[in-house]
Amino acid sequence: METTQPAASAPAPAPVPASSQTFTPSSAKSADPPQLLQTPSVSSTKSEGMVAEPRDPPSSASLHPPEPSSSAGPSHASSSYVITIPSCSGWFSWDQIHNTERRILPEFFDGKSASKNSEVYKYYRDFIIKRFRANPTRKITLTDVRRELVGDIGSIRRVFDFLEEWGLINYTPLAKPSAEDKKGNDEGLEKKETPRRICTNCKSPCSMACFTTDKADIILCARCFVRGDYRPGLSSTDFRRLNITEETKTDWTDKETLHLLEAILHYGEEWKKVAEHVGTRSEIDCIARFIKLPFGEQFLGPEGSINGNSHKEKDEITTKSIEDNAPEQGSPKRMRLTPLADASNPIMAQVSFLSAVVGSNVAQAAAQAAVSALPKVEIASGFTVNDDKLHSAADGAKEEDSPAVDQQAYSEILSVAAAEAQAKLETEQKDVERYISDIVQVQMKEIQDKIIHFEELEYLLEKERLQLRHMKDLLFEDQLTYLQHNTRPISKGAEGQNAKSNNHVP
Amino acid sequence: MRFFTPGAAKASIKFRMPTAENLVPIRLDIDVDGNRFKDAFTWNPSDPDSEVTNFAKRTVKDLKLPSTFVAHISQSIQNQLSEFHSFEGQEMQIKEKIVPIKIDLRVNNTVIRDQFLWDISNLESDPEEFARTFCKDMDIGDPEVGPAIAVSIREQLYEIVTQSVSSARETRIGKKGRRASDTLTNSKAGITMDLGKLFGSKGSVVRKRKEWYLYEPIVDILSNEEVGALDAREELNARLKRKLDEKDESFQTRYSHG
Repeated sequence: METTQPAASAPAPAPVPASSQTFTPSSAKSADPPQLLQTPSVSSTKSEGMVAEPRDPPSSASLHPPEPSSSAGPSHASSSYVITIPSCSGWFSWDQIHNTERRILPEFFDGKSASKNSEVYKYYRDFIIKRFRANPTRKITLTDVRRELVGDIGSIRRVFDFLEEWGLINYTPLAKPSAEDKKGNDEGLEKKETPRRICTNCKSPCSMACFTTDKADIILCARCFVRGDYRPGLSSTDFRRLNITEETKTDWTDKETLHLLEAILHYGEEWKKVAEHVGTRSEIDCIARFIKLPFGEQFLGPEGSINGNSHKEKDEITTKSIEDNAPEQGSPKRMRLTPLADASNPIMAQVSFLSAVVGSNVAQAAAQAAVSALPKVEIASGFTVNDDKLHSAADGAKEEDSPAVDQQAYSEILSVAAAEAQAKLETEQKDVERYISDIVQVQMKEIQDKIIHFEELEYLLEKERLQLRHMKDLLFEDQLTYLQHNTRPISKGAEGQNAKSNNHVP
Repeated sequence: MRFFTPGAAKASIKFRMPTAENLVPIRLDIDVDGNRFKDAFTWNPSDPDSEVTNFAKRTVKDLKLPSTFVAHISQSIQNQLSEFHSFEGQEMQIKEKIVPIKIDLRVNNTVIRDQFLWDISNLESDPEEFARTFCKDMDIGDPEVGPAIAVSIREQLYEIVTQSVSSARETRIGKKGRRASDTLTNSKAGITMDLGKLFGSKGSVVRKRKEWYLYEPIVDILSNEEVGALDAREELNARLKRKLDEKDESFQTRYSHG
């Protein structure tokens, strides 16, 4: 989706006094309104800070005739050009700094350097954009801009690159995609007309589900979406899913499918060689087709893969048809497909990938089924929810006929896995209990030690108290003797008495 | 409030530009087969080296210069950066010097002449902000003036700090120590100003009226013919200088061998 804004270079009185003098006035080339008509449902955007030029209501925005600017002059004929920016940058406004800008160019906003702050950023940004809009037919280059901006080249370059990538400058929606196109830019507009969609990230045709966002006009294949390889500023919630059935394009003949399976059997995950072997199909097609083949069992843990292999051999002997072979050969290969999604837990990656492919409704139903089936499973309890979810998700995903043979193998594998998980769980629990009791013991010991310590302290204190009392008594004695000596000459008789009483005291 | 004793506090710090951002002024003057490319800008020395080549390529592409310039530009930038880096590990002494900074530039049609005092010891100073404010206050129409001013200020600051690095080295080597630095300051008396004289008991912060004209900025817009004339004269000077340099070199080589 695109947004249009009437150009407001010259009419803006204050902001751009100087810059108009420095360029040669562009030739009075009016916009190309006829081409704009091709764009579906143009929506208009808010235009804060732009000069209040009369703006047409959305429905006729595409027929916007070239308006002479209010403060006209022949040199400002370029203002009749309609400025467009991609809707992913609709947040842009002259007055504010958006979170996107803060996030992508943190150097200006983290306060680490005194001279790089938001005003400086705004000054660079406004300058560059005004410069571009004064002459929108011509792409401005970094050199043009950095010569006129005060500051260090690195920061200017980063702001410039950011603006260019987000289409706020040098953005011509009708231009062919040039070699310099950064990822995720809106040139995919043309591709919307064609049935085939190219994922803007990995540049591969998406033939399975594809995800698109209105914010950026990015189309991602399921893999890129799950991997999270979209540009910053978008979150996974911004995307909505579009289904493309690959079968309508070209149907896989049996021969091709057979080749595919043989190739996978031989080469495993080397899709290049597989594609070569199949011959008429690209790698992506092979992978897509392979995934769509009817499989009964999926996504077991690592233990399951070994069993999966043995079952594969067994079934090869028993049946010869392609459809039966496919699942068995598929499962170990399928498990090796898990590293596709970039999650540390391969099982969770699978879950995410699957849920992406099948759509939210099915995934939700599958998860619910898994949760409700959990207590009903006749295998030993202690089954991890993940596995179950995966299984039921897998079951739900591949609605094609699942042979009964596979169900059995499936449950056997399940039981083995469950038993192992159970055992591990028990040991874990025991360990935990042991540790807890150890901790408790240590705590008790600590408390005991403290009590002992305090008792000793008490004892010492008691002794000290006794000593003090003793000393007090001695002092009292000394005082008495001193007094007696003092009063001796006064009364000799008293002295004799005192001396007697003195002898009693100690 | 700290009480200033002029000349006493000599903070010895690691070499860096005495500005808030440690940016290096880069000047390019490349002449290849008669094509002359002159440029000046500020560079952040902590940017990776890949930036240099990217920048060179981008500049050459934007200005449609012949591709031989890429190597020359990268080389020149790298040289200046490595020179800066070579100073980096060393100590320098920032005395509380107020230095006069002179601007004498001609950018396209605008001539700017100005002089002002700059505090070297203020490590939070910002030439870019000064340049922006200057252009805004003086209503300068040409946006290329701002960066030119900023680069010019930085170059002068750079020269001063590199000199102070060598002076720090000398004071350490020389046995006189303090006396040596004093002689240095005396020799640079014309350049530095003693704060004490200005702000002492007799001086005042307000500039004397008769000195106002010295510190007033002059901004002139030239007509195109004058610009052409000045350009031609500069070309001539540059060519003469180059010839003299070549003569000097040949002189040296001849007599160093002989």
